[in-house]
Amino acid sequence: MLDTISADSAQSAARLGWTGVVRFLHLTPRAFLPMRAAESITLVAGRGIEGDRYMIGSEGGFYSHKPEEGRQVTLFELETLVALKRDAGIALGPEEHRRNVTVEGVPLNHLVGRRFWLGETLLEATRLSIPCRHIEEITGKAIFDPLINRSGLNCKILQGGTVRVGDAVRNAA
Amino acid sequence: MKARPITTVKTVVAGIEAAGTGIKLFTLTDPDRWELPPFKPGAHIDLHLPNGLVRTYSLCNEPADNTRYVIAVKREADGRGGSRALHDDIRVGDVIGVSLPRGGLDPGAGISRHVFIAGGIGVTPFLSMARHLARTGEADFTLHLIVREEVPLSAHLTSLMKEGRVVVHRTSRTGRPDLAPLIGAAGPDTMVACCGPEGMTDDFERATAAWPAANVHVERFVAPPPVIDPDAKPFTLFLARSGAEIQVRAGQTMLAALQEGGVDVATSCCGGICGACKVGWIEGKPVHRDRILLPYERERYLMVCVAGSDAERLVLDL
Ligand code: FES
Repeated sequence: MLDTISADSAQSAARLGWTGVVRFLHLTPRAFLPMRAAESITLVAGRGIEGDRYMIGSEGGFYSHKPEEGRQVTLFELETLVALKRDAGIALGPEEHRRNVTVEGVPLNHLVGRRFWLGETLLEATRLSIPCRHIEEITGKAIFDPLINRSGLNCKILQGGTVRVGDAVRNAA
Repeated sequence: MKARPITTVKTVVAGIEAAGTGIKLFTLTDPDRWELPPFKPGAHIDLHLPNGLVRTYSLCNEPADNTRYVIAVKREADGRGGSRALHDDIRVGDVIGVSLPRGGLDPGAGISRHVFIAGGIGVTPFLSMARHLARTGEADFTLHLIVREEVPLSAHLTSLMKEGRVVVHRTSRTGRPDLAPLIGAAGPDTMVACCGPEGMTDDFERATAAWPAANVHVERFVAPPPVIDPDAKPFTLFLARSGAEIQVRAGQTMLAALQEGGVDVATSCCGGICGACKVGWIEGKPVHRDRILLPYERERYLMVCVAGSDAERLVLDL
């Protein structure tokens, strides 16, 4: 059943459905350090975000000992923060989830394997992010369980550029 | 060199300052002066010293001062070596890995008065709290500092002493003060705390025996180990392929013990859901706790990030 409907209809649905917006941008140069908000960030194709811990060549990230092409930039849904508050009573700020870009109106979980525009940059989604136990230690909040399956999206950067808060996020053909 | 996972916050020694006989203040910052992980007043951090020792110290700056960790270290000539290493070997510019801050004092909802009793260098956690309270005005406080003669960190206490918020008791002149009158009467809005040598914390516990436990806090010189499950027991891992033996401390994860022992295991979530750290086991009684292995898989595999052992010995296929 799934193999007959998946590829085509999922693709057309993604093409039909959505336009989102960049709400927050955050980065940090090293593991465990607080994320700092930015009005704009610079994405470098094939490498990462300038000044972030997962920029290829930086050794500052918790996962930097396992370099991964697909983790050049990470995204998170604003809707998940709203849901955490609503369903679990946990107030989590966009600076606490440790992904770089908080978007609204973007169905991140549908985008694995697909390309989309983040402002003027072109990304390819490689896999869903997995929550990390250490986030509970860093934030002091019990969010590991509620974040399973909605912990954001890992992407590689096909075309670099500047991303600003308020930029549109659109599906790429 | 093989890349290792990062398990500590990287800091640089940005300053070393003499702060009384045998006491030095160390200021640790991020290499780029980025904000450091947040902490509560009087929280402590573990320093992973270059010589391999891990030592715990209270932070004496306040949480709003968020780009530095400041610790006061008294040189203990016959201590276990941590303070000697810091005093004698560490220089400005050295890199020291530290843990995330733990513990600390909760300024406390509904608390309007704090009384702190400190013995000597035990003043450090309260200095952090005092700075925090003095700045925010959240609650009133008095810090009684009991010393033999010399006041440690005096340069950092002068203004608080002038305001009468820090009261110094010199035992060389007046003997050991009776703690009960310093503490005063118990009340739901009063919090009392003590940090000092054992004789002093014992006196303090006697003086506060009738107080509600929630309003009394004792901080010992030897910081308590991080809270662990009371049922947790240590066990030994035997690695069948390499022949190595690795001790897992009570409450420690198998993963942390393997990493400490220099065994590289792939990980990702560290919470038993992703499958990255799957390892075969050969003999023993693993306690699984993961959420991905199927019952028949558990007969052969375990996830080292969350699994424990119900027997003293566990043999892994590593
Ligand atoms: S690291 Fe994910 S299951 Fe152990």
